[in-house]
Amino acid sequence: MAAQAAINKSASGRRRDYLPYMLALPIILYETIFILIPIVQQLVSSFTSDMFGISAVKWVGLANYDRMLSDKYFWNSMRVTLSFMGGTVIVAVGAGLIAALLMNQNFRGRSVARAIMTLPWAFPDLPTVLIFMWIFNPSFGVMNLFVRWILPIEQNPKWMMDINLALPLVIMIAAWKAFPFYGLVTLSVLQSIPSELYEAAKVDGATRLQSFRYVTLPEIIPTLMLMGVLACIFAFRQFALIFLFTGGGPARTTETLVVAVYKAAFNSFDFSYGATIGMAGFVAVFAITLLFAYLQRRQEAEAAS
Amino acid sequence: MTTPTIPVPARTLASPFHWVRRIPMYILVLLFCIVTAFPVYWMTLSVFQPIEYSLTYPPPLFPQAISFDVFQEIFSGQDTAQRVDVWIFNSIILASMTTVICLGLSILGAFALSGKRWRGQGMFGLLLLMTQMLPEALIVIPLYATIDKLKMKDSLLTLALVDTAFVLPICIWILKNVFDTIPNEIRDAALVDGCNRMKMLWKIMLPISAPGLVAVGVVAFFHAWNEYLFAASLIGNRHLYTASVGLGSMISMIDTPIDKLMAGGLMFSIFPVIFYLMVQRYIVAGLSAGAVKG
Repeated sequence: MAAQAAINKSASGRRRDYLPYMLALPIILYETIFILIPIVQQLVSSFTSDMFGISAVKWVGLANYDRMLSDKYFWNSMRVTLSFMGGTVIVAVGAGLIAALLMNQNFRGRSVARAIMTLPWAFPDLPTVLIFMWIFNPSFGVMNLFVRWILPIEQNPKWMMDINLALPLVIMIAAWKAFPFYGLVTLSVLQSIPSELYEAAKVDGATRLQSFRYVTLPEIIPTLMLMGVLACIFAFRQFALIFLFTGGGPARTTETLVVAVYKAAFNSFDFSYGATIGMAGFVAVFAITLLFAYLQRRQEAEAAS
Repeated sequence: MTTPTIPVPARTLASPFHWVRRIPMYILVLLFCIVTAFPVYWMTLSVFQPIEYSLTYPPPLFPQAISFDVFQEIFSGQDTAQRVDVWIFNSIILASMTTVICLGLSILGAFALSGKRWRGQGMFGLLLLMTQMLPEALIVIPLYATIDKLKMKDSLLTLALVDTAFVLPICIWILKNVFDTIPNEIRDAALVDGCNRMKMLWKIMLPISAPGLVAVGVVAFFHAWNEYLFAASLIGNRHLYTASVGLGSMISMIDTPIDKLMAGGLMFSIFPVIFYLMVQRYIVAGLSAGAVKG
């Protein structure tokens, strides 16, 4: 009885319940040490001049920001980031949607096909880079063979060494690895659509295309939008894949913002300038995250009504 | 059909040629499967065929001969700093440490999020969401500088602590989702029987959530297993290389034989592929919950 009374008491909120705070505290501390403090350090560092291990740290005010805004390579990395983000979002979410629609059909061998299609998602970044570097190797890569079956070209393309092909290639590889996740999430939403809706549409004489347009699509659009934002963020943080596959080249055509940060810090040892570019990236991520949180709220509100 | 008065459209009647309409679907499924499976097949092929077949153009699409020599090379070379088995051993140590730290913290966090709402829960959720969204590369510089100052570089434990910070949010979401499926009656019954809440968590909720805990363990383990950026910047000692850094270093050495590279890559992928496919259900539920319900 006493325990029951205690539950009722905390439920009615007459007594402040401290347990959740005690539980959350270690995590808040942990993330403060490893995430929040470094962000503050990064902010401070962006106002200084800190060539790692080369010169003493000096306060320089907004000089780094001045330099960044007039740095054409910074704007280049912004452009590359946007193209990479847009490209992977469209290809990965689009392929994920198609895969989910296919997996939502009944056919023989579906579970095998589903396992095969999930494969890239389980693959780590490093082996993914290895495989595709080999497949797209300009001398021995098997892709040369396939392309020359289809296109009448005399010479093997230079693939990731070609300034026009490098970025699309990186996008395709990133999407190859990412689409199964979007497919699995979409599939779980598709399977939660009540079958009565489809039967009702059928009774009303809807064609398959119409029932997709008027039944399926409205149900999955909120999820697709959320995944689109999520895919933007995943694309934004993509480092190992790009860095190891092209190193940002050729001619900086695949140098996204995160690659630029890394190169400023660990190739040029200009920690402050790297930190400054990092702050620009941080603002971008913050904006996208808020958009994501907003879309989520709206979806929950819609689901509740 | 319970209501025979409704006219059944002719196309829903089973016809012997029903499968014809499904051909485009099968072609699409096949196409998807080829695109996802071919690279994996190609990697496996270059590991198990003698290297001279890989180094011909045009390359043969099907195995012509089989050889296991490359495994001898990557597992028993003279230089232990260059051996894939040593790298994989380091990765296992790193990933195990990350898993333990992460499991402990995510049990606390998931329990905090799964009970009744409390003031500040929204802020806590936002903190987790921000952490989950933050690109590692954006704070690698200050983390590197601090860890360098504290002389904590070249330590797998340091790396495990950093990796945990980034994988913790998703683990909390996955576990919260699992905790949420435990009916309130079970919790209340335990409390009425005189358990305090920590005891209820320990004795009742964790045993029920065992599969979810496994899923969280798998996610944490393979996050550390796959992680490249921090491993590459914080580990300089070749004897402490994790597999991801080791393979990365192989990529940048132009003269690494292709079969050796591919064999290393294959060894590195086998565990995550098996385990991810096993706990896929939980990860997707948790990821979409964390992602879609943050």
